[in-house]
Amino acid sequence: MSSSPPHHDGSLDEMLGLGATPSTRSLARLRAVVADATDLVALARSSIRCALRGEPRAGAIAGQMYEIGNRSAAFLCVAMSFIGMIFVYQAGVQIRRVIPDVSQLGATYLELLVRDLAASLSALLLATRVGAGIAAEIGSMVVTEQVDALRMCAADPVDYLVRPRLVACLVMTTVLTVIAGCAAYLSGMWTAQAFFSINPRTFADPTLLDAGDVVVGLAKCLAYGMAIPIMSAHAGLGARGGSAGVGRATTRAVVSSSLAIIALDFLISAAGYLVF
Amino acid sequence: MRAFVRALGRSSLDVAALVGAMGVLLGQILARLVRLDFDTDEVWSNLYEMGVRSLPIVVVTALFTGGIMVVQSAPTVERFGVHGLLGWGAGFGTLREVGPLLTALMISGRVGANNTAELGTMMVTEQLDALRALAIDPLAFLVVPRFVGIVLTLFLSTIFADVLALIGAAFAGVPLLGVDPAVFYDGLTGGLIGIGDVMHGLVKSVVFGIVMALSSCEFGITTRGGAPGVGRAVNSTVVVSAAGIFVLDYLVSFAVR
Repeated sequence: MSSSPPHHDGSLDEMLGLGATPSTRSLARLRAVVADATDLVALARSSIRCALRGEPRAGAIAGQMYEIGNRSAAFLCVAMSFIGMIFVYQAGVQIRRVIPDVSQLGATYLELLVRDLAASLSALLLATRVGAGIAAEIGSMVVTEQVDALRMCAADPVDYLVRPRLVACLVMTTVLTVIAGCAAYLSGMWTAQAFFSINPRTFADPTLLDAGDVVVGLAKCLAYGMAIPIMSAHAGLGARGGSAGVGRATTRAVVSSSLAIIALDFLISAAGYLVF
Repeated sequence: MRAFVRALGRSSLDVAALVGAMGVLLGQILARLVRLDFDTDEVWSNLYEMGVRSLPIVVVTALFTGGIMVVQSAPTVERFGVHGLLGWGAGFGTLREVGPLLTALMISGRVGANNTAELGTMMVTEQLDALRALAIDPLAFLVVPRFVGIVLTLFLSTIFADVLALIGAAFAGVPLLGVDPAVFYDGLTGGLIGIGDVMHGLVKSVVFGIVMALSSCEFGITTRGGAPGVGRAVNSTVVVSAAGIFVLDYLVSFAVR
């Protein structure tokens, strides 16, 4: 990209790969994007199929669960309790500009937390920690030809490497979301009492929470729990060119899982709003 | 129990050592910035690498963020029937909190991690020692341009993301709530949101940029132990940047009204 002469017209078109006068370069880029997406869909299908059919390898899955779940729990709880304090404080300031009554704050916060914040923010944090780890591990196996060695032994790399991470991430995203959500709720409750003198009994008001919110929240946990390992494994399996390639794969994993989370958040939220 | 206390003490000492090291690095960087002792060409090439090439991610994130803000305020708007206030609700959250936060997390994943990987690879292949042997100050040549690049990239991307997120929100309001973009614009500019809210978010973006740049440069130039060491450094950068962003978000929210 940097070696080519500067291109004055249509740089945005070029970025999206759809030039008005299709040059060979933008066509090649479009083709690369399509090939990449096809690859990703194939990987998603085969890893989900493996997860449903493959023989249970409890040891590998438990190891990944420890790696993904236990070792992220403290980080997630600390970050999410700060988020809880920030959101309650900002929401309180916002509400007091319009109406002096902040008694609904707790109920609204609980609804928002269950429906969106707990799952989406935990997943964004997990994507940085877990996604980078998965891509770095699988990527260094690819560049040191360990994945080719697996294929030589007639072991499917997807079944052997991706499946334990997919199952572990699916379970642990949900578990960690619940734990981190509780941390955010408690810190929000403390903030409400300290800054707006809302009694914790008033704050803990589940009247606005309904089944739809819980369903949308859980659907998000499952979707993110699948998106993070699949996007990261895809980035890791595509690593080329030594340790620099592993670095690039790690970056790509974090960026594409975060983008996937934000896009899924929008789609699931909109679907949930239209259904419920 | 004793093992737990010992682990707790060790990790708090580690945190203190890290914060101290980042502070020292900040001091060294500021001293060179004040003396204008850094490589200007490197600043421009870093700005291109970090800023211009992150634009597609920032655009996509911001448009979806706007949509998410509208979807999340939709039930409240419907409940109270205040369609005119949608612009205010989505705008307030985007400008003060969500815009800077999500942009920082995305840039941290793309730019911060990449920066650590580059500096770390240079470190483990002894390229920084080679620079020193040539009497070139590695801080002035490598670290200060990256610091400036990250802080400016995040600041400019946040402005860009704020605007795009509001546009995304205005157009997401049409199919979801039937709120016309003109009504959205009126809610946004109705006087409830001032320039103070925009500045609040921009102050945050500068603070996030500084913590992200410091942690990624610090982990980069202290990398030890070959290629696995680079991997560990990248992982620590991403985690420390995310934790630092959230903690400072909290502090700035209270410090700046």
